[in-house]
Amino acid sequence: MQFGNNDVTRLIPVRASRRELLSRGTFGAGSIALALLLKQDKLLAIPKDVLGPRTFDLKAKVPPVQPRAKSLISLFMHGGPSQVDLLDPKPELTRRDGDSYDGKVVFSFFNRATKRLLGSPWKFRRHGQSGTPVSELLPHVAGIVDDLCVIRSMHTDTNDHGTSIRKLVMGSTRPERPAFGAWLTYGLGSENENLPAYVVLSDPGGHPTLDIRNWSNGWLPSIYQGTVVRSQEPRILNLEPPPQLKGTLQQQNLSLLQDLNRDYVARHPGESDLEARIASYELAARMQTVAKEALDISRETRKTHELYGLDDPASREYGTRCLIARRLVERGVRVVQLFLPSQPWDSHTQMRKKLPEICRKTDKPSAGLVQDLKARGLLDSTLVHWGGEFGRLPVSEGVPAVGGRDHNGEGFSLWLAGGGVRTGEPYGATCDFGHRAMVDKVSHHDFQATLLHLFGLKHEDLTFKHNGREQTLTDGQGCRVVHDIFS
Amino acid sequence: MNAFLCRPSRMVIGVLLGLAPGLLSGAEADLTFERDIRPIFKAYCLDCHGAEDELGGQLDLRLRRFLLHGGDSGPAIDVGNSRNSLLLERVTAGEMPPRDVKLPEKYIATIRQWIDGGAVTARPEPEQIGKGVGITPEDRLFWAFQPVQRPVVTGALGDSSVRSAIDALLLVKLRAQNLHFSADTDRLGLLRRASLDLRGLAPTPDEAAQFSEDASPSAYEEMLDRLLASPHYGERWGRHWLDVAGYADSEGVTTADAVRSFAYKYRDYVIRSLNADKPFDQFITEQLAGDELVVPPYEDLSTDQIDKLVATGFLRMAGDGTGSGAPDQNAARNQVIGDTLKIVSSALLGLTVGCAQCHDHRHDPILQADYYRMRAIFEPAYDWKNWRAPGSRLISLYTAADRAKSSELDAEAGKVAAEKAKKQAEYVLAALNKELEKFDESLRDSYRAAYYTPANKRTAQQQQIFLKNPFLRLHAGNLYQYNQKAADDLKTYDQRMSEIRSGKPFEDFLRVLTEVPGKVPVTYLFHRGNASQPKNPIEPGALTITAGDGQPVAIPLNDPALPSTGRRLAYARWLTSGHHPLTTRVLMNRMWMHHLGRGLVDTPSDFGAMGLEPTHPRVLDWLASELLEQEWSWKRMHQMIMTSTVYRQRSQRDPSRNAIDPENRFLWRKPIQRLEAEIVRDRILATSGELNHQMHGPPVSVRADDVGQIVVAAGAAGKRRSVYVQVRRTMPVSMLRQFDMPDIKVNCEKRATSTVAPQSLTLMNSSFILEQAEAFARRLQREAGSDLEPQVRWAWQYAFARQPTERELARGLTFLAGQVAYLEARDAAVTGDQEAKEPSGLPAPLQALTSLCQVLMGSSEFLYSD
Repeated sequence: MQFGNNDVTRLIPVRASRRELLSRGTFGAGSIALALLLKQDKLLAIPKDVLGPRTFDLKAKVPPVQPRAKSLISLFMHGGPSQVDLLDPKPELTRRDGDSYDGKVVFSFFNRATKRLLGSPWKFRRHGQSGTPVSELLPHVAGIVDDLCVIRSMHTDTNDHGTSIRKLVMGSTRPERPAFGAWLTYGLGSENENLPAYVVLSDPGGHPTLDIRNWSNGWLPSIYQGTVVRSQEPRILNLEPPPQLKGTLQQQNLSLLQDLNRDYVARHPGESDLEARIASYELAARMQTVAKEALDISRETRKTHELYGLDDPASREYGTRCLIARRLVERGVRVVQLFLPSQPWDSHTQMRKKLPEICRKTDKPSAGLVQDLKARGLLDSTLVHWGGEFGRLPVSEGVPAVGGRDHNGEGFSLWLAGGGVRTGEPYGATCDFGHRAMVDKVSHHDFQATLLHLFGLKHEDLTFKHNGREQTLTDGQGCRVVHDIFS
Repeated sequence: MNAFLCRPSRMVIGVLLGLAPGLLSGAEADLTFERDIRPIFKAYCLDCHGAEDELGGQLDLRLRRFLLHGGDSGPAIDVGNSRNSLLLERVTAGEMPPRDVKLPEKYIATIRQWIDGGAVTARPEPEQIGKGVGITPEDRLFWAFQPVQRPVVTGALGDSSVRSAIDALLLVKLRAQNLHFSADTDRLGLLRRASLDLRGLAPTPDEAAQFSEDASPSAYEEMLDRLLASPHYGERWGRHWLDVAGYADSEGVTTADAVRSFAYKYRDYVIRSLNADKPFDQFITEQLAGDELVVPPYEDLSTDQIDKLVATGFLRMAGDGTGSGAPDQNAARNQVIGDTLKIVSSALLGLTVGCAQCHDHRHDPILQADYYRMRAIFEPAYDWKNWRAPGSRLISLYTAADRAKSSELDAEAGKVAAEKAKKQAEYVLAALNKELEKFDESLRDSYRAAYYTPANKRTAQQQQIFLKNPFLRLHAGNLYQYNQKAADDLKTYDQRMSEIRSGKPFEDFLRVLTEVPGKVPVTYLFHRGNASQPKNPIEPGALTITAGDGQPVAIPLNDPALPSTGRRLAYARWLTSGHHPLTTRVLMNRMWMHHLGRGLVDTPSDFGAMGLEPTHPRVLDWLASELLEQEWSWKRMHQMIMTSTVYRQRSQRDPSRNAIDPENRFLWRKPIQRLEAEIVRDRILATSGELNHQMHGPPVSVRADDVGQIVVAAGAAGKRRSVYVQVRRTMPVSMLRQFDMPDIKVNCEKRATSTVAPQSLTLMNSSFILEQAEAFARRLQREAGSDLEPQVRWAWQYAFARQPTERELARGLTFLAGQVAYLEARDAAVTGDQEAKEPSGLPAPLQALTSLCQVLMGSSEFLYSD
C-alpha cells in the first residue's frame, strides 16, 4: 500500500469493494476480515428499526459536503495558554501596566486576585508576509505564521478548567458526552484498517485534566473512543506476538476466537460493545504488522528529527510525538491528539519562569509539524489545531514578579493550520486589554460546527440517538459555521 | 493547580431547570415567584444580583419586594404591566444576562406572565433574609431532599412475572410503555450471573452440576445463600466499596508517592465486615467514628477495638502529601480535609459539597456555611493548625507486656552499648599511645592534647600537627587499621546488642483517624475558600437541606460523655438514623448499579440538580426503606434484588421491545456487563487453576518490568485475587489499567468501560495470558486425561461453566487436530520457513491445547456477564 502520496483522490473517502479490501496484501488475517465483513452483511440484512441501534463500523464514510480536511491533529494545550503573552499583543495593556482595571473580572483564585493590569513581560514582533505579531516566547511558530490561521476571538465564558474543556471538546457540561474526536470518527470512519482510527499520544507526565474523558466515546458506540498510545517504548504494550505463535498459529487462534465471539454476538444481537470487541481483535491483529512501523521514527532523517526539535532535551519528547502524529495521519489515521500532563499552561504563579518552559517544550515541535506536513503535501488534507480550553486575564494574579494570571474564558486565542483554513490576518479580536472577545466572536459551538464543516460534516445532521433524542456535538445550541476562515 | 470547579456554568442551566419541571409547569394563573420565577433568577441572574454582598446595579432579585424596590435604574417590574417592566425590557433586548448565554424565550415568557398576572408570591415574604442565595421551601421540594417514602405497592402485584415489590413497581412503568419483563434466563445462566456478581468468580464445574441437579423449589435461593456465604463475596463487594472510599496503598500527592504500609488493614476490615454481613449502619458508624467507640488510651486492644479503629481508615484514604515533602504544607493539609469531605459526601450523601467551599452552591441548596459545618465535624481529628503527618497517625499494637519487654531489652542492649563505648575508648587510647611511642616524649603531650581537642577548636599549631601526622586521624571507624583484634572484639558487642533486640516482640501498627483529647480547634468559614482568610467561627452541623425545615441536626461541640468531641459519632448516628433523605438512597442505588449495570440514578455520587433524575424513584425509595426494614443487612438486600424477576431476566434484546426502549431504561431485560478489570484477571487465574485463595494481609507488591509496564510480583503471591494487589497510585498494574481499573486521584464514583485494541493485544500476546493458558492446558491434561474430547468438554466447563454445544465440541476438536497436525508438520520439516525456526518448546498436543485455552479466556463470553 502506498503511503504519503499527494493524490487528490485520497481526499475523498471511497468505499473500497469488499473483494478489493480482501485482496490487499496488508491484511494479516484475511480470513478473519472476510468473516467479519460477511457477518456485517448479515447484520445489516436485519431491518434497521427492528434491532434499534444500527451496527457501527469504522469504514471510511463519504461526508455529505465536499471535505476540505481529512485528518485532524490536535495539540491540546491544557491549562489555558495566555493569549496576551503569546498570540494577541495588547499595546494598551502594556501602556497601562500597573493601573487599576475598570472592567468586571470574574476571578477563580480570589486569595491572590488583584485588578492591577499586567502588560506582557514579553516582546511581540511582526512576522511573515502577513505581518502577524507573535510573542518572542514562540520563535518557531512565528517562523510559520504565514501558514497559520490565528483565531483571537474564542470564548467559552467559563473559567473552570473542567467545565470549559467539556464545552469546547464535548459541546456541553453534561456527563458522559462524547469528545470531539469520537464524533469525527463516528462521522467519517477510518482510512486505515490497520491502525486505530483515533489515536491519543499521552505524555510521560500523565494524563491531562479530565483524564480519559478527553477522548471518551461517551454514549457513542465504544469503537469511536481514542486509543491511548504510551509515552515511551514500547508505545503499544504486547504488540509483538510471542515467537511460538507468530504467523499461522496465531491466525488459527484468532479464527477460532472470532468464531466464538460471533456466536456470542449472535446470541446477543444488537450489543454494540460485543461488535466492538470483535472489531478490536481484528484491529489488534492488523496492528501487529503495521503499528510498530508506524510508530517507529528511527528511519526518519536527522534533518527531520531536528525540524521537530528532537535534538533539544526540552522539546525532544513532545517533538517525538508530533513526528509520530505525522506518520499516523500519513497512514490514514483520522484523529491524532497530543495531550500534556495535568494542565501545564495554568500559569497562576511563577509565570515568568513556567510559561517559557512550556513554550520551549511545545513551540518547535508544533511548528516543525506544520512545516513537515506542508513539505510532504499533507497539510492540505490535515487540519492542525493548537490551543487550550481558555485564556488568561489581563490583570496580575499576585505580585507580578512571582505571580501570574488567572483563568479567562471570555476571550482567548488558538491557531489552526492546513485542512482548508485560510492563512494571513488573524481572525477576530478581543478588547483593548485582551480580556473579552469583541469582534467576530467564535464560541465553542461555532468552533465545533466550523471544524466539522471542514471535514464535510454538518453539525446539525451528525446525530446520534440517546435518551430518546437525536443528539449533536453542538447540543442543539445556536451557532454559526465561520466561513470566513476557509481558504 | 486545581480547577475552580464550580463557577456557574450556564450551559447546564437548561438541564437544571428541566430537572425540576414542577417548578415551571404551573398553570398561568398559578405562577408564583418562589416556585416559578426565582429558580430562573437563581440560574441566570443571582450571581450578580443577590448571591454576593456587592450587587450589580444595586439590584437584588431574591425577593419580589426587592424587585419592586429596584436598583440604580429604578424598579425592576411594574406589577400587572410587563410592557412597562425594566427587567423584561433588559432581558428581551438581550442586554441581560450580560454575557453570551441569554435567557431562553420560554423563561422570558414565564416572567412576563407572572408580571402580568400580578407578580404573585406563594406566601408573604420574610421581613428579613440572610446573606446569599439561601435555602427556600421550593429547594426542599427537590426529590432527593424529600424524606424517603415507602411506596404503596399496588397494581401489578397479581401479575405472574412479579416476584417482589421491586418487580411490581417496575412493571407498572413497563406496562405504560407497552413493555413487559423478559423471560428468566436459563438455570446455568442464572448461576453464572449470580456467581460473577457475588464472588467475581464463575461457578466451578462441580457447582454447576450440583445446581443443575438440584430439583428443590428453593434451589435458586439456596444457591444465593451459598454464594453470599462464600468468603469471596467480601472480596468482590469490598472492592466496590473500596472504589468509592478511594482505597490506595500509597499517599500520592507528591512524586514520592509514599507507601502506606498499614492501609491494607482497612481493606481487610471492609472485606471481613461484608462477609460477616455487619449491619451497614454499624459499618458506616465505625468508618466515620470507630475511634470514638473505643476508650483511649489505645492500648491492649481487643480484636473488636482494633476493628473499630482500623475502620477509620476510611477517613485516611485521601491522598496525603504532608509527610512526603508537599511544598505548601497549609495547602496540602487543607487538601486532605477537602478530599476527605469529598469521599464522605460522594459515598454517603451523593452530593458535590466541594462547590460550597467558596460560596453558596450555585445549583444545589448547600450553603457555604453548611460546608464548614460539615468540615467542623472532622476538624478535631484533622486540625490543620496542629497537624499530624501520616507517620504520626499510627497506633502501635504493642501490649503493655510487649512494651515492658521491649524496654527491658532496650535497657539490656543499652548496657552492652555502654560497655562497648567504654571498651572502644580504651582501645582507641591504647592505639594512640602505641602510635605516640614512636615520637619523642616531649612531643607526646602536645599531640595527645591536639587529638582530644575537637576539630573546630584546634589552634593553628594543632592543625599543623594533624597535617604532619595523618596517624592522628585515628577513630573508632578505622581502629581496625591500627588494631584488627580490637576492632573484631568491638563487633562482638554489636552482635550481642542485635541478638538482644531481636527478642523484642514484633511491632505492628494501625492506620487511624483519631482526635487529640482535650484539643478542640475552632473551625472558621474561609472567605472564598481561602484558608488564609478565616471569617466567622462555625459550629459543627449537618447540611441544612438534609434536615427537615427548622429542625437542625444536633452535633455536639464537645460531648462531655466522651473523651473525644463526639462530633463524628453524632454525625454517623444522624446519617444512619433512617431519617436522612440521602444515605440509604445513595447506598441502595450503588448496590443496584452493580447488579443491574446502571444505577436508578445514573450519577451515583450526584443526586443534586446537576446529576440525573432517578429513572424509578419509587423503586429507589422502596429499596431505601427496605434497607431499614431489613435492619441494614446488606446480604438480605442482595437477596431481595436477586430473587426479583428484573434480575433473573434474559439479557437478549427482543426486537419489538428493543424498538420501544433500545437503551433499556425501563429494564425489560437484564443488561450484559463487561467484567471489571480485577474480575477479568481473577477469572483467568481461577480458570487456569492457579488462583491463590489466600485472604487478607499485606498487599502483593507490584514492579516495573523491563519494558516499563507495571506487573504483579511473581510467584504464588502474584496469583492472589486482584483486591490484594498493592494500589500504588503512581504504579497502576498495566493489565488492570487497560481494562479500566480507575486511576485513584480522590475516589472512583463510577467506573468507565472501554473496548480498545490494546486490551485485545494483552489477551493475545501478554506473558500473563500465555502462562495462564499453559497452566489451564496442563490442568486439563491432568484432570481430563489425554483424550481430546474430554479435554474440550472440561475446557468449556472451566471457562464458561457450561458444556460445549455439539457444534462447539466439533469446532474445538477440529481446531486441536488441525493445530497438532500443523505443529508436527512444522517440527518435522527439514528445511523450514521462518516459523520453523521458532519451535514452541511444548509438545504439539500441549501447545494446541494451550492455544485453545487462550482463545477461551480471551473470548467475549469470558469477558462479559450476561
